Amino acid sequence: MTLDPITPAFSPVDWAVPVFVVTIVLEILLARFRKARAVYEVRDTATSLGMGLGSQIAGLLTAGVVLAATLWVYEHRLFTLPMTAWWAWVAVFFLEDLTYYWFHRLSHERRFWWAAHVNHHTSQHYNLSTALRQTWTGGIAGTWLLWLPLIFLGFPPAMVAIQKGISLVYQYWIHTEAIKKLPRWFEAVFNTPSHHRVHHARNPRYLDANYAGILIIWDRMFGSYIPETDEEPCRYGVVHNLGDFNIFRVAFHEWMAIGKDLAGSRSPREVVGYLFGPPGWSPDGSRDTSATLKAKWRAREAAMPTPAPEQIAAE
Amino acid sequence: MNATLIQLAASAALVALMIAVAGWARIARPFAPLDEAAARTLLAGEFPGRIPDRVWIAGDGAGAVARSGEDALVVYRLGDSWVARSMPWRLAMVAPVRRGRVLLKLRDPAAPMARLAVSGVNPWPPETPAEALAA
Ligand SMILES: [Zn+2]
Ligand SMILES: [Zn+2]
Repeated sequence: MTLDPITPAFSPVDWAVPVFVVTIVLEILLARFRKARAVYEVRDTATSLGMGLGSQIAGLLTAGVVLAATLWVYEHRLFTLPMTAWWAWVAVFFLEDLTYYWFHRLSHERRFWWAAHVNHHTSQHYNLSTALRQTWTGGIAGTWLLWLPLIFLGFPPAMVAIQKGISLVYQYWIHTEAIKKLPRWFEAVFNTPSHHRVHHARNPRYLDANYAGILIIWDRMFGSYIPETDEEPCRYGVVHNLGDFNIFRVAFHEWMAIGKDLAGSRSPREVVGYLFGPPGWSPDGSRDTSATLKAKWRAREAAMPTPAPEQIAAE
Repeated sequence: MNATLIQLAASAALVALMIAVAGWARIARPFAPLDEAAARTLLAGEFPGRIPDRVWIAGDGAGAVARSGEDALVVYRLGDSWVARSMPWRLAMVAPVRRGRVLLKLRDPAAPMARLAVSGVNPWPPETPAEALAA
């Protein structure tokens, strides 16, 4: 069997589109007839699906540059890894997923890349339609550069593209409240609805956690894993939720906020901080970052009177 | 190019179908207009650690403004969810009322303006300037 190393033999995302439609309709119907848990607000759904459609168009705008850069790197590759070898697929599965983890972590921890990723988190709902709330500005933010080392190693561009597609399709089905917890072994290894609900939660306890694509093992390895607990249900969205359903606000609000901050900055330090500091960074620390929100939450928890052991025993 | 356009048109049609189904199902969170207790619970969740002195409720129960020190804590309904921001209390006090709604400029590109319904029972501003000065 020969496979073209440049043009993917198939696009997992294109193939999955009918599955997206059928499962979203199914999730709505199951919720409508009280067979499963799902909450859909029609304007929120329209915004999520509109963002998905728009991201397809936005992707076309930068596709040429991304392809040219990818081909150039592939021409200067270290090795030539065969697309027909099973071990190469195993290797690209793990390495692509590791790349995704760091891409996703960067996208949350540094404001410039958060500006491109935040839109995925702007829904106050968590259902299958939320999965399709995809970025319009990822191409401009340049996060696709992070996948070039794989090409430089010698993985054919088509192989990386297919694996990226598989990862995106995998991450689709976990955007649901209909599935509570899966078997323990599965929750231990794979990203699941429960793990990703935590990732979409704005509760201080859950901020900046579970960046996984397919495998949750990276979060466990690099210390960013937080389990979902029954005592604290996830509240979805971003720390400061969006004021309306305007799709252009969803796509561009953080870029606008960066522009406003840069216009008012008074030193190179402030420029760097506003661009590449953590989201919420400010020169005088007057705004909240994930770290300060978590610290305040921990202080509140510590200040809460905890029942004495004998009290618990008596209950 | 033609194939791409056809694909996009087909996707748009499917999106319209899914939105229609979501609208038909009516499975959004139920909405109950805010009373003082509900507004305080909501504010406590959005502004943990802040204790609001007094709470003003929008005429339609779809928003509230509370004073906490020098800040006005603002919440308003969006769809079946809530949006929260704080702004200087003194600016909230002089916010204009247009067509029965007080327009609160939130100075944030993510949520530029809250428009809360003002009624005869809940006029805006909630206290007279003299009261504000005395506080
Ligand atoms: Zn994320
Ligand atoms: Zn997600």
